[in-house]
Amino acid sequence: MTKGDKLLLAVLLLFSTLSTGLLYSRFSSFSRSSSALQAVISVHGDVVRTVSLPVATRTALTVQGRVGPSIVEIEGSRVRMREAPCPGRICINQGWVGQPGQSIVCMPGEILIRIEGASPLDGVTR
Amino acid sequence: MRFGTRRMVFLSLLISLGTALHLVEALLPLPLPFPGVKLGLANIVTLLALHLFGLREGMTVSLMRVLLGSLLSGMFLSPGFLLGMSGAIFSTLLMSALLKHSSCFSMIGISMAGAAAHNSGQLLAASLLLQSTALLLYLPLLLLAGIPSGIFTGYLLNSLLQHHKKSGILSDFFEQNSFNDRRN
Repeated sequence: MTKGDKLLLAVLLLFSTLSTGLLYSRFSSFSRSSSALQAVISVHGDVVRTVSLPVATRTALTVQGRVGPSIVEIEGSRVRMREAPCPGRICINQGWVGQPGQSIVCMPGEILIRIEGASPLDGVTR
Repeated sequence: MRFGTRRMVFLSLLISLGTALHLVEALLPLPLPFPGVKLGLANIVTLLALHLFGLREGMTVSLMRVLLGSLLSGMFLSPGFLLGMSGAIFSTLLMSALLKHSSCFSMIGISMAGAAAHNSGQLLAASLLLQSTALLLYLPLLLLAGIPSGIFTGYLLNSLLQHHKKSGILSDFFEQNSFNDRRN
């Protein structure tokens, strides 16, 4: 290694360790608190209820759909359709959802439950 | 183009060598939790071409390597390909500029700088692609990871060039007369 190599090594090491330390000490709290989850329930395209997640106690909401009342259950930061008058029961069989971007759809009732919030990933590449 | 054919053959060899290294490296899993960290073995070939010929040839080898590597691994025009392309352009330009001052730096320093430029170029392309500057927070970590891999590839290249200086194994390809001299 020549003198220039060592100088370059020192500069790179100094810059990267300093900035790593600085960034991660300053922004560690900011990167964790950025996901404000909420469940958005809409009927026929109109938002009828917005619930901030997670909820403290298990709650059941009655949503008036096109074919009758459905019961949406919310526990912690996950949501499911507990009861619905539709024939297919696809929405009930889907079970719990809780990740941002996931949704439960009841076609006959025209009910849409969507989990909104910042995704933990910005993008994916290989 | 006095040594046209000889030079073309040698550059083709370098490109295929670089492509092979690129592909082999993609198969090697590094046991690190950071995505995008790799050895950069193919950089040896780019730096060799830069050292023996110049910027144009180095850039050709580097870009052709990225192109062929992406075609063979099925990632042509994927985000990963664009990142690799941008990193390759940045690192080749910087290494060629540093080679002009090769009295100050050995191959180790130049390779380290190339690794740093590659990572910066990649992240720049990634943040343009995702329209977000938040990715630049990843730069310090990548720069840190680039130091050992830069030293490693630079050391390999230093050894290769020393061996070449002693035995002249590479001269056949880019010196017009050496081949004939040995025959006569």
